[in-house]
Amino acid sequence: MSEKSSKHRPDTALEDPGALAVATMYARSYMTSAVQNGVTSPEEELNSLVDDVLLAFPEFEDLLLSDSVGRDDKLAIVDRVIAPKSTEFFANFLRVLIRHGRIAMLPMIQSVLGRLQEEAAGKRRVRVRSARPLSNDSRTQICDELRSRLGFEPLLQEAVDASLIGGMILQVGDTVYDSSLRSRLKELKGRLVEKALNEIQSGRDRFSHPEGD
Amino acid sequence: MKFKADEIASVIQKEIEDFRGQIVTAEVGRVIEVGDGIARCTGLSTAMSGEMLEFSNGTRGLAFNLEENSVGVVILGDYLKIKEGDEIRSTGKLLSVPVGDALLGRVVDPLGNPLDGKGPVLTPHSRPMEWQAAGVAERQPVREPLQTGIKAIDAMTPIGRGQRELIIGDRKTGKTAIAIDTILNQKDTGVICVYVACGQRGSSVAGVVEILRQNGALDYTIVVAASSADPAPVQYFAPYAGAAMAEYFMYQGKHTLVVYDDLSKQAVAYRQLSLLMRRPPGREAFPGDVFYCHSRLLERAVKLNNELGGGSMTALPIVETLEGEVSAYIPTNVISITDGQIYLESDLFWKGIRPAINVGVSVSRVGGNAQNKAMKKIAGSLRLDLAAFRELEAFAQLGTELDKATQAQLDRGYRMVELLKQPQYGPLHVADQVVAIYAGAKGYFDKVPVNKVQETERQLHEFIRTEHADMRDKLIAQAALSDEVEGMLKKALEAFVARLASKG
Repeated sequence: MSEKSSKHRPDTALEDPGALAVATMYARSYMTSAVQNGVTSPEEELNSLVDDVLLAFPEFEDLLLSDSVGRDDKLAIVDRVIAPKSTEFFANFLRVLIRHGRIAMLPMIQSVLGRLQEEAAGKRRVRVRSARPLSNDSRTQICDELRSRLGFEPLLQEAVDASLIGGMILQVGDTVYDSSLRSRLKELKGRLVEKALNEIQSGRDRFSHPEGD
Repeated sequence: MKFKADEIASVIQKEIEDFRGQIVTAEVGRVIEVGDGIARCTGLSTAMSGEMLEFSNGTRGLAFNLEENSVGVVILGDYLKIKEGDEIRSTGKLLSVPVGDALLGRVVDPLGNPLDGKGPVLTPHSRPMEWQAAGVAERQPVREPLQTGIKAIDAMTPIGRGQRELIIGDRKTGKTAIAIDTILNQKDTGVICVYVACGQRGSSVAGVVEILRQNGALDYTIVVAASSADPAPVQYFAPYAGAAMAEYFMYQGKHTLVVYDDLSKQAVAYRQLSLLMRRPPGREAFPGDVFYCHSRLLERAVKLNNELGGGSMTALPIVETLEGEVSAYIPTNVISITDGQIYLESDLFWKGIRPAINVGVSVSRVGGNAQNKAMKKIAGSLRLDLAAFRELEAFAQLGTELDKATQAQLDRGYRMVELLKQPQYGPLHVADQVVAIYAGAKGYFDKVPVNKVQETERQLHEFIRTEHADMRDKLIAQAALSDEVEGMLKKALEAFVARLASKG
């Protein structure tokens, strides 16, 4: 699911935090009301609409998401094209989005919904940046370690960054665990410079007034 | 002494072997927009207000606005190298500055980075920029004098150690000059001075540093410089950095003096910052908390109680007015916070009365208790006499015939005004001030032509120093005008007047 959504919305792109908050609100409400209405997998229809229809027919995506098409026209499109094929619950969700003028957020709501469902299932995305591609062994090792220490099922999103030189950087949510060689070398450099400066200063102090300039 | 390369190599090798890198854990976020010295970032969900943050290129920032979905960060450094999407990480530390003896004689920016080319500032101590001011129980009343070396101030608006005295006036009226003279006068008194230049021209700051250096005042002075070319956040933080540097010495039981030059420019920098952060503007477009911004800074000037070492921090904030408008927002705010003000007027300045202090509206609310006893005795009626003289002078301008007594009062008034004039960078010891004002008030200058008063005063100081040094020493030692010293002073002044008369 996460690979699918990342196809047209790369993870590195920055989302407007305000829009993200709104999308989260819609996704959460969609999930809750699905449970109340007895809909078992609400993400199926949403994913199918976004990935199979909108992605395959960009003209239809433009038509549905564009601001230049009126609200009533969009409602009519949903009534004629989508409602006969979908459940009433999903069609209603689309109608609400159109009425509130939030239909353009559909792809964002889809990705947020995916993340929310992962979280509900005790899974969390972990970004792994390493100097070299991970081997299968180290991948399982990382997953086991994360599972035992942080208590969730990790979903690894791997990236290779040669500038790290060695080691890796894990990011869970906003928290970063940095064990890269680059950071360590930087720290070592800082310590060596500081020590050398202190040596120079103490050497100088021996010959001058300690409080002088 | 010869260096051995392999010896150095082995030291470094050992250092590397002993190095144990820890896994660094940090909260991170991403920059979504950046410009005008501020950045808006996502993530950083646990960032604290006022926490120091670090951008991926090493520039430091400060969490300023914590909002629902983003964090407003002020950038303390070059913001042109920060891009959208850059990583920003929290440090878990509050913004702090290096403090300690190593800073004395140095010119640093508000983050403690040296600006004077004398190498890095090496000190193991640091102190948060923002610090809660001492509470009521930790203080004691202001009692000791802080001599400015300026006759008009020490006589009529005396400043005590731990006081906050505002210097206010239009541009080019000598505000900075008073502050610099005060710093120069702290030589050999053990008072440590911090001069905070905030929003000044770079050339003015360089000029001040040069004067301090020439007069040997840099040995006990720290200059914190944020010129008008520096970004607004740096200008905004400069006074807090200066206060932190002085506080370090104060809590060691030492006496300190901080000059904030000037707070109106700092308020403008804060206004810029707040408006960019979309905080709602208030009067004159300043944010609502600009009063708090100044009051929490000036509250840090205290006289500590004896259990805490009895140190003190005296603050001399400077505020620039426009066309003498003291009822503008920032001047009224700072006037109400401080313990008095020294009001400078451009009319007086161009009339040649320098320092151009308007003694009528200048006040010191707590300094009276701290004033030197001798000075208090002779300067007690000075302010009233001068006010009476002003009234008479206005009356005399109508061209009325004056009786002898009134004419004599007028003449003495002219000479007193002349006596209170003082050249720049020439602070006077309080004993010399006492001698001069005593001589003027008791009429020893009545025979001297008005345009010769300043020169005669100089001769008087020389006369006292060379021929009556014992009286001067006694005056300094007693710090009061006892009958014995007063008798000696009278004798000395009579001798001086006689000598003047004989010279013709």
